[in-house]
Order: sequence, then C-alpha cells, then structure tokens
Amino acid sequence: MRKPDSKIVLLGDMNVGKTSLLQRYMERRFPDTVSTVGGAFYLKQWRSYNISIWDTAGREQFHGLGSMYCRGAAAIILTYDVNHRQSLVELEDRFLGLTDTASKDCLFAIVGNKVDLTEEGALVGQEKEECSPNMEAEDCVSPRAPKQVHLEDAVALYKKILKYKMLDEQDVPAAEQMCFETSAKTGYNVDLLFETLFDLVVPMILQQRAERPSHTVDISSHKPPKRTRSGCCA
Amino acid sequence: MMSIKAFTLVSAVERELLMGDKERVNIECVECCGRDLYVGTNDCFVYHFLLEERPVPAGPATFTATKQLQRHLGFKKPVNELRAASALNRLLVLCDNSISLVNMLNLEPVPSGARIKGAATFALNENPVSGDPFCVEVCIISVKRRTIQMFLVYEDRVQIVKEVSTAEQPLAVAVDGHFLCLALTTQYIIHNYSTGVSQDLFPYCSEERPPIVKRIGRQEFLLAGPGGLGMFATVAGISQRAPVHWSENVIGAAVSFPYVIALDDEFITVHSMLDQQQKQTLPFKEGHILQDFEGRVIVATSKGVYILVPLPLEKQIQDLLASRRVEEALVLAKGARRNIPKEKFQVMYRRILQQAGFIQFAQLQFLEAKELFRSGQLDVRELISLYPFLLPTSSSFTRSHPPLHEYADLNQLTQGDQEKMAKCKCFLMSYLNEVRSTEVANGYKEDIDTALLKLYAEADHDSLLDLLVTENFCLLTDSAAWLEKHKKYFALGLLYHYNNQDAAAVQLWVNIVNGDVQDSTRSDLYEYIVDFLTYCLDEELVWAYADWVLQKSEEVGVQVFTKRPLDEQQKNSFNPDDIINCLKKYPKALVKYLEHLVIDKRLQKEEYHTHLAVLYLEEVLQQRASASGKGAEATETQAKLRRLLQKSDLYRVHFLLERLQGAGLPMESAILHGKLGEHEKALHILVHELQDFAAAEDYCLWCSEGRDPPHRQHLFHTLLAIYLRAGPAAHELAVAAVDLLNRHATEFDAAQVLQMLPDTWSVQLLCPFLMGAMRDSIHARRTMQVALGLARSENLIYTYDKMKLKGSSIRLSDKKLCQICQNPFCEPVFVRYPNGGLVHTHCAVSRHTNPSSSSPGTRT
Ligand SMILES: Nc1nc2c(ncn2[C@@H]2O[C@H](COP(=O)(O)OP(=O)(O)O)[C@@H](O)[C@H]2O)c(=O)[nH]1
Ligand SMILES: [Mg+2]
Repeated sequence: MRKPDSKIVLLGDMNVGKTSLLQRYMERRFPDTVSTVGGAFYLKQWRSYNISIWDTAGREQFHGLGSMYCRGAAAIILTYDVNHRQSLVELEDRFLGLTDTASKDCLFAIVGNKVDLTEEGALVGQEKEECSPNMEAEDCVSPRAPKQVHLEDAVALYKKILKYKMLDEQDVPAAEQMCFETSAKTGYNVDLLFETLFDLVVPMILQQRAERPSHTVDISSHKPPKRTRSGCCA
Repeated sequence: MMSIKAFTLVSAVERELLMGDKERVNIECVECCGRDLYVGTNDCFVYHFLLEERPVPAGPATFTATKQLQRHLGFKKPVNELRAASALNRLLVLCDNSISLVNMLNLEPVPSGARIKGAATFALNENPVSGDPFCVEVCIISVKRRTIQMFLVYEDRVQIVKEVSTAEQPLAVAVDGHFLCLALTTQYIIHNYSTGVSQDLFPYCSEERPPIVKRIGRQEFLLAGPGGLGMFATVAGISQRAPVHWSENVIGAAVSFPYVIALDDEFITVHSMLDQQQKQTLPFKEGHILQDFEGRVIVATSKGVYILVPLPLEKQIQDLLASRRVEEALVLAKGARRNIPKEKFQVMYRRILQQAGFIQFAQLQFLEAKELFRSGQLDVRELISLYPFLLPTSSSFTRSHPPLHEYADLNQLTQGDQEKMAKCKCFLMSYLNEVRSTEVANGYKEDIDTALLKLYAEADHDSLLDLLVTENFCLLTDSAAWLEKHKKYFALGLLYHYNNQDAAAVQLWVNIVNGDVQDSTRSDLYEYIVDFLTYCLDEELVWAYADWVLQKSEEVGVQVFTKRPLDEQQKNSFNPDDIINCLKKYPKALVKYLEHLVIDKRLQKEEYHTHLAVLYLEEVLQQRASASGKGAEATETQAKLRRLLQKSDLYRVHFLLERLQGAGLPMESAILHGKLGEHEKALHILVHELQDFAAAEDYCLWCSEGRDPPHRQHLFHTLLAIYLRAGPAAHELAVAAVDLLNRHATEFDAAQVLQMLPDTWSVQLLCPFLMGAMRDSIHARRTMQVALGLARSENLIYTYDKMKLKGSSIRLSDKKLCQICQNPFCEPVFVRYPNGGLVHTHCAVSRHTNPSSSSPGTRT
C-alpha cells in the first residue's frame, strides 16, 4: 500500500454531504450515498504526493473516532449544510474539539454544502444540473428556500477557530480563501475546494520532510567545491 | 451484497477425540504452531494433536488430527490460555492466574518450576526488542489493579523487566516492539513502555461489549470499535485503513490477508481490507474462539475445532471474474501483489487484466476494455481471433490455454445481434489501427494488417486505400481473396502494386476502366493509370499499355512519355525514336511528344525540329484546305509554327522552303529566308507581298536578337532602304520609313541616314528621329568624357602612392629580422611591403602574401 504523505479529514454532522463531496471530487459523480459507517478514505495523487482524504461518520455513535482520524491531519474540512443553521452550530459545539489531535499547523476550511437548494444557488449551478425535474421535486421538499446560513457566518466561525487555536490571522490563509459554498450535486466549487487545500498542503509536506532527519543521502544536491582561481586564466 | 467464496470451513478435531461423551467438558483455548495443535479445556487438561493436511484436487484440503498426548495440570481450574514458544520448546499455559512453562512435546512442567504469578491474561511480543533468540517477551495484565507487567521468559526461568500502571483497569493487551495496545475500561490507548508516553485512540464501552485488541502486522492493530466497527490503528495512534463494518456483538477477530474475519454468536463474516466490503458469511453457531496462527485461521466452539481454509487467491479472482465483478477482481489481484513472488504475480496479473478486458469487451465497454488490453499486454491476435475469418489462414496463432474468455466467436458473443457486431468491428478497427505501429504489434504485424484490411474492405472504409499506399504487412493471398470477394478491385490493384506485381495491378485497373469488372472507387481511374505508368519504372509495362492509353485519349495518354520523371529519363531507357515510331498512329500525340522533345527538353536534333515543323505545316495546310472559316485555330497552329521557325536554328530550311512553295504562307517564307541570311529577300516579302510593316519591323528585332549591334543596324538600314527605294510616289512606304526612323532612332547611323533621305523631307517630319539621334550622340560623348576623367584620376592616385613609397629612406642593419623567416639580413637587398614590413627577396618569392596583414601588398 502506498504510504500517504499527508492527510485531510472531512468533519461535520451527518447528512451535510461529506461523502457526496468526496465522491463528486474523486469519482466525478453524485450517486446515492449510504450513511457512512465509521469512516472511509481515498488516496489522491496530487503532483508527486499521495494525500489521503478521510470521510468520517457524522453520527453521534461514531463521534469517539473523530480524534483518532484527525491525529496528524494537515487540513480539516468542516462541513455544514447551508440550509440547516444547526449543522453550523454543531461544528463549533461538537466537532471543533476533535481537531485537537491534528498537526499543530493544521489548516481549516469551512464548507457550506447544498447551495443548489437555495434561491441564489439555483442560479449558480443551473447549467450543470443533472437530475430531472421530477426527481428534483422528490429530492428537495421545499426547493429554493432562502439560505439559512450565509458566508459571513462561516467567516465568523473561521475567525473563532483561529482564536480557539490561538493562531494569528497573519499566519494562516485568509477567511475568504478558506470558506467555501459548494454543491456536491452540481459540482459547484468542489474542485476548487479540494485543490485549494492540496496546493496549501504540499508545502507542509515539504517542510515536514525537511524537518525530519533524512535516512537517505541525496546525491543530486551535491555541490562541487568552489574552484580556486588559478593564475593564468584569471 | 454480492458475496465471494474466500474460505471453506473444515473440521479439524471432532468432539469424540477430546471429551468423548463427557458433557461438561468444554474447550477453553487453542494454540497452533506448525503442525502441533494444543487445546486447553475447562477441566484442566491440555491436549496435543498432530494436524495432517491432505490436499484435495478440486476443493479445500481436509485435516485430520491425531492425538499425541493429554495431560492434567493438577488444578480444579480451567486452562485459560495457551501460547507456544517454539524457539524455547515451551508452551505457556495460563491457569488459575498463573503462567507455567511446559515442554511442548511431553507437556511436562519445567523442572525449575518457573512461572509468572498473578496474571489475568497475557500476550507475546511478536516484534521483540531484546534481540535474544532464546527468550520471549511476555506482557501480562496483572491481577493487581491497573497494572501491566513485562517479562522475559527463558527455557526454565522468567524475569520481570517492567511494570506499568494504567489510568484505568486494562482488559485486553497486544504488543508490538515497545508499544502496548491496551483496551482500558472506557477507551483504547497506545502506550510506549520505554518512554512511558500514552496516546488515546478512541473511547468505547466495555460494559456493552468486551474489547478486542489484535496485532495484525508490523506496528498495526485491529480493535473492536463502537457501532460494530473493526478499527485499524498504528502504533503512532492513527488509522491508515478505513474500518470494516462487522456485527455489533463480535467475539473474536482474525486476519488472513486481504481479509478480516470476525466471529459472533451466529456467523463468521469475512471483510476485505481492500474495499471494506463484507465478502462472505458462514453460519457458525456457538463459536467462541477465532484466532489466526501464522496464517492459519482456527475457530472453535466449546466442543470442536475447525479450520477456515482460504481459497487460493487466484481461484477467488477467477470466481469474481466469472461473475463479471471486474473491479473487485482487480482490487483483490492488486492487493495480492505482496503475497506472491514478483514474477508469478506479473504473469497472473497480466492474465487477469486480459480476462477483465474481455469481460468489458463482451459488455461493449470498449474504452475500459482497451485500457485493460493495453495494460495486460494482450496478444492482439486473441482479440482478432474472436472475429471469424480475420486471421490469415497462414497464421500460426492458437488461443491461450486456459482460455481468456468463454466465447467461441463474435457471433456467439453478440448472439447474432448485427448492431452489436458492427460496434465490435468498429472497435477492432480503431484498436488495430492504434496498435499496429506500436510495439504491441511486434511479431505479428502480418496478422494485424491483414485483419485490418479485411475489416476496412468489409466496411467500405476509406482507410483501406491509406493502408495499402503506406507501409503495411498485409499478406497477399489472404488479402487478395478477401478484396476480390468484396469487389474492391482498385484496392486489390494497390495491393498487387505494393507486392511488386505492377502488371497484375495495371491489368486489373484496365479491366475496371473497360467495364469488365465493376468498382467505382475512382472515377478518374484512367488518369490514375496514365499517372501510374508515367512513374512506372517497368519499361515493358509502359509499352504494353501504351496503345491502350493512347487509344483512350491521345493527349492524355502521351503523358506516359512526356511526363516521366527526370532522373529516370537521364538513364535514357526510353529511346525517343522508338516512341516516335509508336506514336505514328497517333498524330496529336506525336505532335505533343515532339513539342516535349524540342521545346521542353530542348533536344538539339535536326530531325525532331524538322519533323515538328513539318507536322505543324501539314496541319496548317490541312486546316486551310478544310475550312477557311475556322480562322482562330489556324492561327494557333500557325503561331506555333512561326515560333518554332523563328526560335530554332536546327531544322532543314531548304526542305521546308520547298514544302512552302506555292502554299501561300509569305510570313513563314520570310522567316525561312531570314534563317538563310537572305534578309533583303525576307524583308521584301514582308514589305511588298504582305505589306505588313509592323511584321517587318518585328523581323529586324527578332532576327538580331542576341547578335551584335552592327548586325541589327544593318537590318534596319536594309529595311529603310527598301522603303525608300520605292521613291516618293509610294506614299505608304514613305510614311513607314518616317515611322521606322522616328521609332527606332537609335538603331540607325544618323549620318548615313541623312544622306539617304530625300531632300524634300522637312526637319519637323523627322523631328523625333533627329532628336533621338542627337541625344544619343551627346550621350555617347558625355559618357566618354566621364570615363576619361575617371581614368585620369585613377592614374593620379597611383602616381601619388608611388611617390609616397619612394619618399623615405629605410635603414637596414643586422639587428633587423626578416618578417617571414626571422633571420637577419646578410645582403643589402630586400623586399619592402607597403605596410613597412621587410623581408628577404627569396622569402618574398616563396610567399607572395604580406607577412602581417591579410591584404597582399605591392613590393617596392
Ligand atoms: N441537493 C443536494 N443534496 C445533497 C448534496 N450533497 C449531499 N446531498 C444529499 O444529502 C444526503 C446526505 O449526503 P451524504 O453525502 O451521505 O452526507 P454525509 O452524512 O455528510 O456523508 C444524501 O441524500 C445526498 O444525496 C448537495 O450538494 N445538494
Ligand atoms: Mg457520509
């Protein structure tokens, strides 16, 4: 098995769409998901690095596993449902505590999923819409409701997290860069989310490697000794 | 969920062997070490069996156990746990909270009586840290509260090395190196007993469910998690595999790569570590022990011992493939990589990829199939051979055995569905086209190209022709028969041509043009044949079809002679006389050919020029005779004739003049006279007979082309003389004379002309001529003056140079060295270069260049 170089973990209440987001990104589709049992993970090759992405179960029953999954994580994606304010509240109440085991320079992303169900989201993802109208009616009981959670709320949470982690805003990516609104259904912003994180994680991998004592000799970085100037051709 | 058969459950020890009909006796624990099987019972007995495995050709092996020995340990307590330490030849027996050491063979306690007291349960460190081969590391959960102890156990003594106290009461333990994986009362932890650092894994509830802690490999454990999860955790406290989902009430777990096996009250379930899915469920009631011993998985009820015999991975994979579960089969195969020697694995894996490819193919999943064929390095002929009649009859190919798929051919695969069949053919076309130029094709290019040709021909595909006109390996006999069958005669011709059978190719094409066979591939086939023959190196073939092409069209047909590529013509393989001979029957073609020789190739041979002139002349005469109306055409040939007569100097002038007698072609006669140098006569004809003054003027010009100016002047004077000779009465001629002078003032010697002119002509009349003449004369004079001035100044420069060089004196001493040989001067003679360099005279003679500057200098 390939050893992952870095880990990203998806956290959030059940049904917010963590599994769907991962499947949309990894398999480019939006299938019916079954409630995640325990956890699952994918290995993603990004440039020359292997990044493992863990999908966790939001169910209360599996809550205890969260800390272990987060151990050593380079980035954590806190996911909520833009149509359910409670799912955002849960992030702070229930999930933030799980991230204490993550690596000390862990990145946080806050993701509001299912924007396709909101009035404004309907416009955004229209062209990619792939489910037929009647399916739609069945899927979303009250389609096109006004958004329950706004991006500013996510930004506020992000800043709270920084305080909680005692991080300086100067040292971490800006809230605007790390708060996303997505739709696993239409694919809106999904690639952006994951690939933004990958690009931020890669330098962390390099830094880790640099800090760890190396067991191999890098013969390519050998510098030839400086030539001393000899008289004639100086 | 689709299942797979990964294990078969077989009985190992029947209850009769153990307890006969004693109802109350129960199996408490089991240990297996190679062929030695030990069983501990609740009545304090240890049994030793020898396990004999007998392979059964088709199916799982069977086991028989023969009892070697049984010994009562002398307590009234059950035997709780058994562990073999084969390096020490000792069995560790936990009974009545005490671990005693007994001989593995005779089950006698060690004479020293060494034992570990106060143990609730224990585990061996399978990744020992001591490095001593004659001791094992044992970790016990002590009966003392919240205490773990580490021991080193030797042949006949034990030694405590560490005691660790824990935050909560430990219930289960596994060891790897310095790491203890512990199930405490409310959570699992990893504890490094060397550093004392603990790390929480996750909470669970021991009251609901007894914990499971199982080492599954280097630095990795399997734990029973909440909600029926089998959780993986490394010594670093992280999970590197996704959990498996077993049942809520599992009792035991074991690992047999790539499977996790779990036991509950009713079932044994098998889960893949590769995709987390449950793969098999075996009903098994009242089981209470499940353990793996060096890859052998044993389950036991309180009455009997059973073995889970794994099906060979290859068999499992084949089963998956047989039920078309390609993804799973590939995952399993990939997962098996590290369990199978590399060479063997590669062969196996390739084959699986190929089989998977055919499964996808049969479902018309061509993209996936192609990728699998590619990565499985499929011999393309396996695929071709599915299509009836595509492989050449001469092909030595036989399908691999055992077969990669179950299909006899495409008909069977598509069940006669024409649409599917067409799709399959389309796929093969693109696939073969893709691989034919890659290394996949090496060794069977003939088979591939022949198959491709057949597909193209059958489908009436345009690429058929591209295939045949570029490098290909189509086999002749097979392909020819196929093309004939599909009436692709034009393509068949290309095939013949590619196989150096040009005669057959041309004959076939001629048959198409003649309508003997039908093939509408090319509407311009006749032109194609002409073109083909034009570039054909086979002289005989060209001759063979010369008449045919000429009969079809003289003008086009003659191209086989006129358009031949140059380099070939230089070999002179075609003799022009032969060609002319052949073309006698085709006058138009003959004219074209002679034009080709005379005009294009500029052959300087009198016969051709004369012949061409005569042919032109005959045509002109014929045209005149036939109809006086068709003026335009007459002039075209006539123009050609005139041009030839003017330009060429090779034809026989007298012969042609004779032919012209009385033909009424004054212009042509004039040209001929001109050729003979009889300019007076020629001009006379033009002026008097034709009265075409423009032509006369023109005559003077072309006739003097490339000749010296006096010759031209002579012609103009001659013409002027003719004009003037008629006297003032011939008014028209006088006007012509004036025009001639005015227009060509510079062609005349003005002084001579003035004497010839009648005195009556006014200056005004001749004004342009006079001005021209004057200007010319003045221009000539001024040019001469300028030239004179330049010559003088040049002379002056040279004189100055000479003066300068002579001006100063040169000192010659024996210190001065010759610049060429670097020797001193011994005589007072020397050579001096304009830049001042001095050299010996003999050096200067031997080397005429200036020694230090690149420009040659003048010697002084
Ligand atoms: N309309 C819509 N439904 C979604 C979206 N993402 C997930 N869902 C649905 O929400 C439900 C829960 O999704 P799931 O991925 O299992 O959530 P998880 O429990 O966080 O893993 C499923 O029925 C999904 O089909 C989304 O972006 N838009
Ligand atoms: Mg989920």
